[in-house]
Amino acid sequence: MIDVTFLLLIYFMVTTVLAKPEDRLSPTLQTQQQATVDQAGDFQPQIVEVVLLDGQPAYRLGGSVFRTGPELSEALAALPVSVGVFIKVFDPVPVGFAVGAFQAARDAGFEQVTYVPGK
Amino acid sequence: MNFGRSKHPTRVPSVELTPMIDVVFLLIIFFMATAQFARLTRADVDLPIEKGEQQPIPEEAGLVINITRLGEIIIANETVSLDDLADIVDDEIRQLPDRDPRRVKLLIRVDRLAAAGRLNEVVTRLQQRGVGVARIATEVPSATRRR
Repeated sequence: MIDVTFLLLIYFMVTTVLAKPEDRLSPTLQTQQQATVDQAGDFQPQIVEVVLLDGQPAYRLGGSVFRTGPELSEALAALPVSVGVFIKVFDPVPVGFAVGAFQAARDAGFEQVTYVPGK
Repeated sequence: MNFGRSKHPTRVPSVELTPMIDVVFLLIIFFMATAQFARLTRADVDLPIEKGEQQPIPEEAGLVINITRLGEIIIANETVSLDDLADIVDDEIRQLPDRDPRRVKLLIRVDRLAAAGRLNEVVTRLQQRGVGVARIATEVPSATRRR
């Protein structure tokens, strides 16, 4: 019985530690009321668009296009962080690539990162 | 010849098995309970591989929304529609003491290869309910794991 008990213990210990470690990114969600207020004021948000260009996912910031997260992060690092950044994600882009934009914004020092669903 | 007994009888070392078995059973029950709980709320999806915020996570999310590669929304091991998701979020808001939707705690676990359109639909529903923050789960790359 003790042998069975130890086998069960080892089994459940092994199955528990096999879970992959997770972390998270916490973008804010822009509500309809906030969108109206922002449009009424002089606030010009910095917008990163996550789109498909020539069949490949890309990040578009102003007139510049970036293909990787580190490139985008380097470009964002040159921008003022106090006004925050909007990440606009369009439909056919894979989620993994879109989440890379949030990570790039965090790495560039932005605290205010807002998720905007693209149409 | 004096074959008298030694003044110091040899003691045979022994292990108390009864309390050890009790401890082992408690450990088994602990790992069984924690393993079952994790399977109930977290579906098997391949999360985006990003290091995340790398902040200490103070508490677990209240509602875990899983989105598979095919766009299925799974909550508590059940596939739900967008309307069902909205109802579930409304229930979560009603359970809060102040019913402030900005205080709803939820975690979105979405497959990295899923189309962002499904995530956009979920986020739009959350926005309509007044939810302020959406935590998106990531899988930490092995080289950057916290120690």
